[in-house]
Amino acid sequence: MRFYTFVLKNILRRRVRSALTVIGMAVAVGAVVALVGISRGFERSFLAIYQREKVDLIIQQRGVKQKLTSVLDAGLGKKIAEVPGVKTVNSGLVDFTSMDELGPVGVLVQGWEVDSPMMRHLNILTGGRPLEASDKNCLLLGERLALSLDKKVGDTLKVFDDATYTVRGIFKSNTVYENGGMVVPLADLQRFMGRRGQVSGFTVTVDQPDHKAEVERIRHAIEALGKNLEVTPTIDFVNSTQEIVFIRAMAWITSAVALVIGAVGMLNTMVMSVFERTREIGILRAIGWGRWRVIRMILMESMVLSLAGGAVGAAGAVLLTRVLSNQPAVSGMIDSYVAPDVIAQGFLIALCVGLLGAAYPAYRGAQLLPTEALRHE
Amino acid sequence: MNKPKHDPFLFRTEQLCKLYPDGQVHAVEDVNITVRRGEYVAIMGPSGSGKSTLLNLLGALDRPTSGEVYIDGMRLSKVRNVDRLRSRMLGFVFQSFHLLPILTAVENVQVPMFEGRLSASARIARAKELLDLVGLGHRIHHMPQKLSVGERQRVAIARALANEPIALLADEPTGNLDSVAAEGIFELFARLHREEGMTIVLITHDEELGRRAQRLVRMQDGHIKSDVFSARRRLRTPLPPFAV
Repeated sequence: MRFYTFVLKNILRRRVRSALTVIGMAVAVGAVVALVGISRGFERSFLAIYQREKVDLIIQQRGVKQKLTSVLDAGLGKKIAEVPGVKTVNSGLVDFTSMDELGPVGVLVQGWEVDSPMMRHLNILTGGRPLEASDKNCLLLGERLALSLDKKVGDTLKVFDDATYTVRGIFKSNTVYENGGMVVPLADLQRFMGRRGQVSGFTVTVDQPDHKAEVERIRHAIEALGKNLEVTPTIDFVNSTQEIVFIRAMAWITSAVALVIGAVGMLNTMVMSVFERTREIGILRAIGWGRWRVIRMILMESMVLSLAGGAVGAAGAVLLTRVLSNQPAVSGMIDSYVAPDVIAQGFLIALCVGLLGAAYPAYRGAQLLPTEALRHE
Repeated sequence: MNKPKHDPFLFRTEQLCKLYPDGQVHAVEDVNITVRRGEYVAIMGPSGSGKSTLLNLLGALDRPTSGEVYIDGMRLSKVRNVDRLRSRMLGFVFQSFHLLPILTAVENVQVPMFEGRLSASARIARAKELLDLVGLGHRIHHMPQKLSVGERQRVAIARALANEPIALLADEPTGNLDSVAAEGIFELFARLHREEGMTIVLITHDEELGRRAQRLVRMQDGHIKSDVFSARRRLRTPLPPFAV
């Protein structure tokens, strides 16, 4: 018999207690993996919007952290395009609107120039086409939004104070927000938002994106065009976006709460398990086991239970995220993909919590004199 | 370890005292006793006389309040790793067997061997050998609950021998057995002593069985009341020059 066989038999002997420990750990790890996974998904999707167009710089109103509240003069686009080294400039207006069919969930609306590269690069599904300058009251729906609204190309829907729009195309994006949103001509959105001649910001691609000094020079040159301009490299922009920062913080806070609950549960289970087995530990000590052997036994048991809890929790989190992402109420807001590193992080946390939770019981068990333990009833 | 070169005694105590946990009453008081290698000693006495406490102190399962215990010349209070000493030199047998119910007989016998350096296969081979020795070679895969009480105690004795100890310490090993099973266990102890030269210190309430040991120590109120060599059996090693 090997030592780990003995450890496994010990775990299997107390099936109910072991199962409860695994469930407790699974809930904690599952919560962490799901919450961090959703937060990361949000971040990833946000970044992907810009990465698709290979955006190097993002221009917004200085001091504004939320894209929705940024206001810039649309005419700045021409001046930015004239800066040496700038390859393309796109302007856009962003808003959220609500639709009766979707309840209180906001739908992302993007206003783009109909002849912009972003419009041309959209992956329009068969049967549809990008918007053109001649289109009146037409829009494009993200694949998921079209599914939620049960709309197809040619159908009409009411948006912006009951204006009737025709679905000209349905697009598939690799970002969950775009899939759950819609694209309308920039001029239409400016009109409905009462922001004629204004945009939320610009995205810029440069000729030499790998030349850091050159990118930095262009950044300063654009900022010099107006004191209310804030020019940020894409990755920095995504990382500092208020929504991302907020969601990250929320994910970590709720994860920390879940972790504390999991750790306390684990500690309680391991302490109770060691208390119950005080006499058995005394016997093991009396028949020749040293303190370290007892500590190893308790820690190994805890590790096995933690990893089992981690596996169940991670699998549950992946499943939960998939189920949630398909719910109409959150359609377009949750990405169903949970990155492997987030799952690995969950396992690592399970292992650490398991070891920490077992440390005190292991220490206590090992400190007992065999006779003290044998007297224990 | 502080081991002198020539100590004739396997166990030796000096003014050994142990207070009960309440700190008021002595479980054992000023006990001086010696046990030579290969000796077979029975300890008898009424309940509360201190015999189990003495056995626990001799076996390094407990720490004395004052006084000293020497094992094979090593002063226990100075031994850094008492666990290792206990694992390598002593085997324990309990009245309630204390077998692990989740393990078969052959697995139970292997449990102390985790502290040794045997491979997994060598542990199995040794456990089978020991179960053969105690007459249970045919029941090695039985769970404890499928064995009779006498057989369980035999498994416990095999387990006590797992790390090739030089002494067996047994606390009322026949206390839960019927007379036939108890007789079998005593025969086993006698054989281990006779054929393996095992040093045995056991506690018993059975007067008849106690008298079969080479030496019968009687305790009362934490003191040794008498320490008598039995003429019915010859010692493998000379008796200590004094009986305390």
